[in-house]
Amino acid sequence: MSEARTFDRSRAPTPGPVRPFRFPHVERALLDNGLTVLTARHGRLPVVTAALVLEAGAAAEPAERAGLAQLVAHALDAGTRTRSADEVAWALERLGVEFNADAHWDAAILSIVTPRDRLEPALELFAEIAREPAFRAEEVERLRDEQLAEILQRQKEPGALAADRAPGFIFAPGVPYRRPLGGTYGSVAAIGVEDVRAFYRGWYAPRGASLLVVGDIDAATACTLAESRFGDWTGQPGARPSFEVRPGVQRATVFVIDRPGSVQSEIRVGDVGLERGHPDYVPLQVMNSLLGGAFTSRLNMNLRERHGFTYGAHSGFAFRRRPGPFLIQTAVATEVTARATEEILREVRRLRDEAAPEAEVAASRDYLAGTLPLELQTTEQLAGRLADLVVHDLPDDYFDRNRQQILAVTAADVQRVAREHLRPERFAIVVVGDAGAIVPGLEALGIGPVEVHQGPAQEPV
Amino acid sequence: MIQIPIEQHRLDNGLRVVLSRDPEAAVVAVNLWYAVGSRNERAGRTGFAHLFEHMMFQGSAHVPETAHFAFIEQAGGSLNGSTWLDRTNYFETLPSNYLELGLWLESDRMGWLLDALTQEKLDNQRDVVKNERRWRVDNQPYGDWDERIQEMVFPPDHPYHHSLIGSMEDLDAASLQDVEQFFRTFYAPNNAVLTIAGEFDPGEAMRLVEGYFGPIPCGPAVPPIPGCTAAPPLIGEEVRLRIEHDVSLPRMYVAYRIPPYGSIEWYAAEVAAHVLAAGQGSLLTRRLVRGRMLAQDVVAFALPLVAGASMLTLWVTGRPGVEPERLEPAVFEELASLRQVSDDDVARAASLLEARHLVDLQKMDNRADLLSQFATLFGDPGRLNTELDRLRAVTPADVRGFAERYLGQDNRAVLWYLPRGGAA
Repeated sequence: MSEARTFDRSRAPTPGPVRPFRFPHVERALLDNGLTVLTARHGRLPVVTAALVLEAGAAAEPAERAGLAQLVAHALDAGTRTRSADEVAWALERLGVEFNADAHWDAAILSIVTPRDRLEPALELFAEIAREPAFRAEEVERLRDEQLAEILQRQKEPGALAADRAPGFIFAPGVPYRRPLGGTYGSVAAIGVEDVRAFYRGWYAPRGASLLVVGDIDAATACTLAESRFGDWTGQPGARPSFEVRPGVQRATVFVIDRPGSVQSEIRVGDVGLERGHPDYVPLQVMNSLLGGAFTSRLNMNLRERHGFTYGAHSGFAFRRRPGPFLIQTAVATEVTARATEEILREVRRLRDEAAPEAEVAASRDYLAGTLPLELQTTEQLAGRLADLVVHDLPDDYFDRNRQQILAVTAADVQRVAREHLRPERFAIVVVGDAGAIVPGLEALGIGPVEVHQGPAQEPV
Repeated sequence: MIQIPIEQHRLDNGLRVVLSRDPEAAVVAVNLWYAVGSRNERAGRTGFAHLFEHMMFQGSAHVPETAHFAFIEQAGGSLNGSTWLDRTNYFETLPSNYLELGLWLESDRMGWLLDALTQEKLDNQRDVVKNERRWRVDNQPYGDWDERIQEMVFPPDHPYHHSLIGSMEDLDAASLQDVEQFFRTFYAPNNAVLTIAGEFDPGEAMRLVEGYFGPIPCGPAVPPIPGCTAAPPLIGEEVRLRIEHDVSLPRMYVAYRIPPYGSIEWYAAEVAAHVLAAGQGSLLTRRLVRGRMLAQDVVAFALPLVAGASMLTLWVTGRPGVEPERLEPAVFEELASLRQVSDDDVARAASLLEARHLVDLQKMDNRADLLSQFATLFGDPGRLNTELDRLRAVTPADVRGFAERYLGQDNRAVLWYLPRGGAA
């Protein structure tokens, strides 16, 4: 290249040569107790993330105790056999170690992130929390009451209220995904300390679980540490829950959750989506990227950049072991609620009825195929990807192959999966907003029946 | 401790350039800080710095409308911008072979934004921002706390007194002329820092920076911040507000006026905030959430504001059934205990700060943003490598002294949100 090169700013510069990016190499080892150890060296800073992925997700909890899996995960570090809650926190934090535990639908994930030079004591504490939680009644009850209070808080946040209520319309009665992950006021209030202990005994076990160790560490060291802290842990979790997923509505219906005085309407257009293992997973990603998965997607360009109805509009499939929800979501000014809903449905129909221009499909493919390096900058991000592999039984070279699969998706694929899997004729359209102001407009759209539901009943406190 | 490599340059037009190479990274982060934020807004134009930020994504002379986002996303990159009281930043993280794309886009809007400006774009983004305000503030429980706290902590003539997102009336009043004037005043290379972090060739990067940014003329001298930044060190008397709101649980916000970011006292405030509320082992979590079971959650932070003063803010949400009359004295009792804080509490806070710093530096976008921050606020990006020393230099006696001087009744703003029509 020459120093005299002029800078032509009239068009975008061409990128430099592609630097091949490979997903970090993953080493696997299986301990005698059935715990799999996955190690990946990553990054140059002295940081390690360790995570336990356990078959202890919310799908395993009894329906009448919804919210239990989350409570159990949150109660783990509130005291062990030998330490109080204060002592556990103190021991971790004196080392600068951050601990997190959360239940998702398919798994519970416990993790620590720690400076490398404190990994050994950090992992010792991590094992103690995972293996010997005390679940003292006063701590469990306190955390249960905090979870109840959080449910009350969410009822006043329109976005959270919409998120919690929408699955109740999307899924048929009896489908676990119908309930909020954190449970309902009634189901959480019914949880006792014995429920917590029983769930832990039934589901927190090494067989079939995985320990992920990611960062500034080699596989041999990780395995030695894993063996010493988890090798003598025994037990086997219950069988993976299996259940049918059925839609809650058979024809498009609008459900308005009345929130008088609301200056915006939180719109959730939902349907039963697909399971993570569905053969159309890859073309669905590309299709969703056109629809609402990125900033430049059609929904956001239409509702935000063309009409100014909203600060943002998105869509996505929640891919779980069983079909999770598909949701389009946005918050729009109250007075444009019906017009925004109409535009959302227009974009869905357009994706079904017309083949997308090749350039647009290419842009979505390139976005999805190119974004992996950005999303693997930290040990926590990489541990998250490994957790995906483990939860969904994917091969270790999955992410490298996924990139090639994405690049192979055509405009015809996009239209096919849009037609097959976007079903506006049975959308559950949930709107949290001022019913008095928005119902007439929504009715006039003629989408289907419009039901008005009250906001949350005043729960006993 | 980790030393992040730093190289500094300055173009003839005044643009400061910071390079930080990490050959192991697969990405490159491009980050620009403009030294303009809500503090620079004039009366009647609250929210304008943020509305202007939106206009920076609407295309420029050589970048078509909406193409800015499209170019970055198609490259597999991510991007955004944000407006704060002291600054506005713009950033993209890209696969490393796309560095030139980021520089082209950033230079085009720094140099040629006005060529593409239209009333239609302004009207559209005004609607978007008004919806952002509804979404963040007007339609959210406790949503206006920061507007109210700023008014309570900073005097009326202080540039931090007014709302960052702005009032609907002021957003309505913003004109194309305002956009032009704001651009010419603040969006010039001499009022900006450009940082590149990640994998790139420094020589090539500087050649590209010179080529794309070099032709942009230096702007006029930036006018002083309006109003008076020299606030007295303390508020002087307790300021109090109780409002009934559509919330489930009562929540108490407390804010103290403290010395600005960069001062020795500010670092003591940062450590104090971590002692109080960072982690399950923090003082307020131990005593109010677990011990006395009065609080649902606690949060505390020292804001990194530099114009004359800053603030330490905390909030405590009451558990259902706990009356404010019980919660408030308990909160102040625990805050008072900071005057006798233990050495262990301070050591715990320092360990968390140190580890978090290390963890955050994994991301090239974080590195770039911090380098731009230190270059903009203190003229020295190298402070990234000494920031931890400043925090570690804070002794327990410093925290006690800070609490004694700044966390008294005469220096606090107390804002209560109470459930409308009675407590939960």
